[in-house]
Amino acid sequence: MREVELYFGPQHLGMVGNFSITLNVEGDKILKATADPGFLHRGFEKLMEYRTWMQNFPLVCRINVVEPDHMEMVYAMGVEKLANIEVPERAEWIRSIYLELARVGSHLFGLWAYSNMLGFDTVAQWAMYHRDLILDLFEELTGGRVYHIYIWPGGVRRDFPEGFTNKIVETLHSIGKCVPDYNDIFFNNPLFYERTHGIGKITREEAEKWGGVGQVLRATGKSFDIRKVEPYAAYDKVDFEIPTREEGDAYSRIMVIRDEMIESVHLIFKLIEGLPEGEVYNKVPNPFKWKIGEGESYVRVESSRGELGLYLVSDGGDKPYRAHFRTPSYSHGLTILEKVLEGANISDVGNIMISMYVVAPEIDR
Amino acid sequence: MNKKNLIKQLELTFSDNEVNTFEENVIKIYAKKEQVKTILRYLKDNGYNHLALISCVDWIKEKEFELIYILTSYNDNNETYKETGYIYLKTKISRDNPEIGTVINVFENAEPYEREIHELFGVKFSGHPRLIPLFLERDYEVPPFRKNFDTRKYVKDVFESIPVIPEEEE
Repeated sequence: MREVELYFGPQHLGMVGNFSITLNVEGDKILKATADPGFLHRGFEKLMEYRTWMQNFPLVCRINVVEPDHMEMVYAMGVEKLANIEVPERAEWIRSIYLELARVGSHLFGLWAYSNMLGFDTVAQWAMYHRDLILDLFEELTGGRVYHIYIWPGGVRRDFPEGFTNKIVETLHSIGKCVPDYNDIFFNNPLFYERTHGIGKITREEAEKWGGVGQVLRATGKSFDIRKVEPYAAYDKVDFEIPTREEGDAYSRIMVIRDEMIESVHLIFKLIEGLPEGEVYNKVPNPFKWKIGEGESYVRVESSRGELGLYLVSDGGDKPYRAHFRTPSYSHGLTILEKVLEGANISDVGNIMISMYVVAPEIDR
Repeated sequence: MNKKNLIKQLELTFSDNEVNTFEENVIKIYAKKEQVKTILRYLKDNGYNHLALISCVDWIKEKEFELIYILTSYNDNNETYKETGYIYLKTKISRDNPEIGTVINVFENAEPYEREIHELFGVKFSGHPRLIPLFLERDYEVPPFRKNFDTRKYVKDVFESIPVIPEEEE
């Protein structure tokens, strides 16, 4: 059979997001895959060098469209570490609640993309609707639906409004009530199992060798989670489980995501229960004249896709000298995806890609 | 191997490089560029098996690029993790002729990072199998992430020369 070069994306119907893969195919078998990112390269890291420390927040949260909150968090942590700023206790807890809400929202968005791609349109609509309920919470808290700029160096922008924690609990209960329905129609559906079982399989050794983090690693049985390994915010003060699976295929990755969502909801309830009283904000210097001493820092958080890191360098000025984000999709989309697609079937490309949670804006930056 | 022993071993084995500790969980190694690969392999064998990031900083006043390899471990145990922490392996290369050996055969996920640095800073990684463009589509005289790249001038040069269809007069 003849070998054909196939451009899969960015305009291909099977592609979700602005990402492209060049496939060398023979029949419907993939011989070689070359990831071709760059459709969303906006040069944020360069732009950040021209803006002051505080002006960078609107840029930072736009790097990853799906989960801007973890981006804010990692940047705020980097600035706090460089400038030695303390965060009040209550602000740490509020940050954790807020980040877990963002994780649930982001996983629901991922569930939308994944079920839509597999043809489970009903589940996709449900997931989108439930994500919208979480966006409503964010809107009440911050005024913005998608980009919030809520976490600042030194704490959070403002305290929870009165009765807000009850609203969080109510919303999460109303979403939680639908978990059996989700299970019946999607997760326990034999069609879903057949479509995902054994697809895009990697072993634990391979995942570690190729820089896998997040669900890709946890689906191979390794419970590697930054929230446990190197706790930030209030994650060391509450107890929670890290869901893992053993098989390392698309099915186990999606099941890890499902379990993580449920665990996050339980974690939010525990955090709300233990939420201490006090200040939520430590004053930082005047943002227009704020200079941070020379230094460098690497900080990381567990975003909903895995290890999200930031390498930040200051030369003593009022702007970052260099900022470099280590995003989880980077190794997933550029290294692991290329290796896993070799020998796979064309019909599984989107399936494998979304099960690894590859998000293009995060790669291109 | 615990951290004190590791620092001692590093100082003994790679005696012409400088080893430094900074804060409680970071070891900084200032290496010569020829030895980066050997040290990375040594560290990988000693538990630092996760290459988190390769980054590049343009120190234009010193006329040098600084490459930073940030290593941690895939250790999921919180207690022993505190002991291992991070390693920042740093090396400086000249700005006039930036070239360094690739580390792909130590850490396979270094491949896109090196491609990115080659594209954005113009650092050549000898031995890299495909130094093809990653993000950019145009050719640049000065690689765009270098400090002497003038973004305003670039925008003026490129986008004002784009032909515009003149509006019809009524």
